[in-house]
Amino acid sequence: MPEFDVMPGNKALAHGVRLARVEVIPVFPITPQTTIIEYLADFVANGELDAEYIHAEGEHSCMAMAVGASLAGARVFTATCSQGLGYMHEVVAQAVSFRTPLLLGVADRTLGWYWSLGPDYSDIMPELNLGWIVNFAETNQEVLDMTLQLYKVAEDYRVLLPTMMSLDGFYLSYSQERVWMPDQEVVDKWLPPYKAPYPVDPTISDKFPTTSLPPPLHTTYRRLFEEILQDARKVIEEVDSSYGKTFGRSYGGLVEEYKTEGAETLLVTMGSMTTAGRRAIDKLRSEGEKIGLVKLRFMRPFPDLEFRKIAEGVKAMGVVDRMMLHGTRGGGAFQDLKSALYNSGIRVPVQGFVTGMGGEDIPIDDMYLMGKKALQAAERGRVEKEVEFVEHKFQAAAKPVAMDWGEPIFPGSDGCAGCGTSIIIRHLLKILGKSTIIINPPSCSGVNFSAVVRVPWILANFAAGAAYETGVYRALRKKGKADKVYITSYSGDGGTVDIGLQSISGAAERGESMIWLCYDNEAYMNTGIQRSGSTPLFSATTSTPAGKVWPGKQVRRKNMLMIMAAHRIPYIATASLSYIPDLERKIKRAAEITRAGEGLAYLHIQQPCATGWYFPPEKTVEIGRLAVQTGAWPIVHVDHGDFKIDVKPKELRPIKEYLQPQARFRHLNDEQFEIIQRDAQYEWDALLELEKRGKFPGY
Amino acid sequence: MSQDKSVIKGFALADTTVRGGQYVGNWRVFMPEVDYEKCVGCRLCLLYCPEGAIRADEANKPDIDMRFCKGCGVCANECPQKAIGMKREEEAKK
Repeated sequence: MPEFDVMPGNKALAHGVRLARVEVIPVFPITPQTTIIEYLADFVANGELDAEYIHAEGEHSCMAMAVGASLAGARVFTATCSQGLGYMHEVVAQAVSFRTPLLLGVADRTLGWYWSLGPDYSDIMPELNLGWIVNFAETNQEVLDMTLQLYKVAEDYRVLLPTMMSLDGFYLSYSQERVWMPDQEVVDKWLPPYKAPYPVDPTISDKFPTTSLPPPLHTTYRRLFEEILQDARKVIEEVDSSYGKTFGRSYGGLVEEYKTEGAETLLVTMGSMTTAGRRAIDKLRSEGEKIGLVKLRFMRPFPDLEFRKIAEGVKAMGVVDRMMLHGTRGGGAFQDLKSALYNSGIRVPVQGFVTGMGGEDIPIDDMYLMGKKALQAAERGRVEKEVEFVEHKFQAAAKPVAMDWGEPIFPGSDGCAGCGTSIIIRHLLKILGKSTIIINPPSCSGVNFSAVVRVPWILANFAAGAAYETGVYRALRKKGKADKVYITSYSGDGGTVDIGLQSISGAAERGESMIWLCYDNEAYMNTGIQRSGSTPLFSATTSTPAGKVWPGKQVRRKNMLMIMAAHRIPYIATASLSYIPDLERKIKRAAEITRAGEGLAYLHIQQPCATGWYFPPEKTVEIGRLAVQTGAWPIVHVDHGDFKIDVKPKELRPIKEYLQPQARFRHLNDEQFEIIQRDAQYEWDALLELEKRGKFPGY
Repeated sequence: MSQDKSVIKGFALADTTVRGGQYVGNWRVFMPEVDYEKCVGCRLCLLYCPEGAIRADEANKPDIDMRFCKGCGVCANECPQKAIGMKREEEAKK
């Protein structure tokens, strides 16, 4: 390993996790966190890190796996952000009482309300008050160093609490910086393996962490946990100083001060914005202003005592927030800082700023401006306007190309050249027409097509696509409109077979008369090609890379046809974009059945993806056809229990013809080809038998 | 209770009447060229064009809107008559 390297924050975090010899890593992709788990997958796939790497089916499960593993005594890491952190929330709250000293990396990103991939702290804000230790990193080096430090803090028996590290999405997660790499042997000595005091392991411990506590003890335990958190600041300082002695870098305790000597005014910042803040302070100092900066390194425990000390010598403070506490007029750091000072007898004007929301840049010029305003407050001894929103003019993107177009979907989408799902959605909308409502769990289709369709396109939360759809359907049914509109999902395979499955199952069982359409490109393409429950055996993805240890994906895909048939819904069909007349027939039949109020119609359409399967874009339709003709993707339907194979080659073509043009199967050896071939033949024979039987079992 | 739309503040809306595509013709590396002699008007290229950038002329033959063609080559690959060729953009423009 070289002494230092240039790398993005996500890679620095992954290296920290590798150096800490983390034992269990549950993962689920979400931008801009995903590359953390991709780097880790590479480490594990190539034998550089010996860890249990678990592909979770959603973030709620992901955090539950992390807590479970930590309960059983392992050192655990997972990462997420934004919607994923929101979905985890319940388990995040739970982790505290289980005393699980795990590390959660949060590559911050806006939590929808309005969606953005860019960072603000709306995602981490709801998690602040649950009892976790919450750290905010400013640089990629700090990310790596704090990964090691936080394990040492968390696993200290005086603490035993979960820790969260915020690294701003994009600004840190994807930005390259120089990072010094500690030596593994030194790390091993400095950070010995985690030894849980009471692991859930009956072979070594009769006692285990419980979450049962009688209500009269709840207040007492709230006090105890608050004391632990407050006392943790001592451990944080100890660990930082010991880290400094061993590795030559230390950061101070809960706050870091910059040019505060002789400062009468302070700017308070957190995370990556601090770097711009430092440059603004340099400029103001060069102009003779007595101003300094305080970086909030930890939001929890909040550095209240530190700020009381700092505030004693100053005339005003300006707090820059990338976090809005709605209903309180200001940002999170601003409110916390104000209340930290209130009963201390120190009266310092505190000016709040809210800016950089949705990931908008906070440039040095803005920091300079905010510094100036804080200086004004110091001069006047009061703030003019308690909270200022630093906003920027919006420059609208290019207008759509004007054209006379009768169809419900326009050309000129953001889809990749040769995108298969473009073909599916055009035919879907051509048949269903303009009175269609599309419910879209996050997927590349939302990014690419929501702006070019002439129908309402509702972005649903990932785990709840079918539930959003149910709500829309039931309201319209109540209003007597169920036979005037079509309601369909446009969902990827992740939103169907993994994280979305529970809500689809519910809708199927209740008999909601709507269409569930899954376009299956066999991985999470939107986040950059991570495996899903629909990824076929041995396929290389960015979370199942083929390496020295891993052969690509190690398990078979789910069979959604069987799963949906077990719900006995009126219509289930698999289809392919390479067989358009068959696809159109199936969409029409699904429309008929749902309009008649007979229940859920489920369409599962394979969509070859040039980008994610690594084949030339002109082959999209050809690959789809090969999938059907080799038995890799049989196209069939179940109409009220009657089972039929719709495209039936006399003999299946060798599966190699389908696999070889795709680089995701490039690493396969003959034995692996043979396994896939046997699988395909076995399934095909079973389908032929089923067709002979005619009726699907269970109907 | 006011139900006057003019009092609504800060309500972001999408409007299905002002949607449309962007000019994506500059994505192309290869450009489709149709040999209208060979074309038999089977319309398969219309069916499969991922972008929906192809419309049929009176003879059912493809009229490709180059503003929206990304040059993926699916049409050329699927044409049973081999009537569509993909040429490098610069050459095709000559």
